[in-house]
Amino acid sequence: MLVPKEAITQYIPHREPFIMIDNLISATTERFESDLFVKEDNVLVENGFLQESGLIENIAQTCAASFGYLDREGEGEPKVGFIGAISKLEVFGLPTVNSTIQTVVTPMHQLGNIYLVKGESFMEGRILLGCEMKIVVTG
Amino acid sequence: MHANDVKMSLDEVIEETRDFLSEEFEVDRNLILPENNLKDTLDLDSLDYVDLVVLIEENLNVKLTGEDFKEISTFGDFYRLVGRKLAL
Repeated sequence: MLVPKEAITQYIPHREPFIMIDNLISATTERFESDLFVKEDNVLVENGFLQESGLIENIAQTCAASFGYLDREGEGEPKVGFIGAISKLEVFGLPTVNSTIQTVVTPMHQLGNIYLVKGESFMEGRILLGCEMKIVVTG
Repeated sequence: MHANDVKMSLDEVIEETRDFLSEEFEVDRNLILPENNLKDTLDLDSLDYVDLVVLIEENLNVKLTGEDFKEISTFGDFYRLVGRKLAL
């Protein structure tokens, strides 16, 4: 594990109650991986399930934490990024409260400060959601 | 089929490019002319340029960078750049 949840806010600008990532498990220029335990009091939980918006935000925060980690490794300061666009979104299921999801993000293209990534979230090996996301990194 | 898989002429590359750009960006193929401005004709914003880079790579097997776009104003500029990268 690269960054435990106790230290994750050192790498992302998000703060409670809007932190949608626990541990950053791995981050290379080719692949990012994180996990998240879905707590009952998560603000994006409804009727016992983390909603699609939570899964999408989890993918975005996995990118943020990974870019932040890689920036630090390169002796730079973590930059702020935001979601520019989401496409090819497919939802196959939602995770229940008290389950843990794993998220894998693959950077596909970079043009200047815009990154196109493919994100997928899983629960017990079963895919929950997949999408492509354009992340705009500032600074 | 990529332009590099079977050696295509520049004219063939241009015709194929007009096909996939008109389809992807929903623009009249007849507006994709060498003298027309690429950004204005395709109505590109900064995020759309990423889609353009992906399309070019998938269809022509040509990798473009942000630097490349500094020399592109018209479709003619774009075809010349692609031709150079494909050594046509």
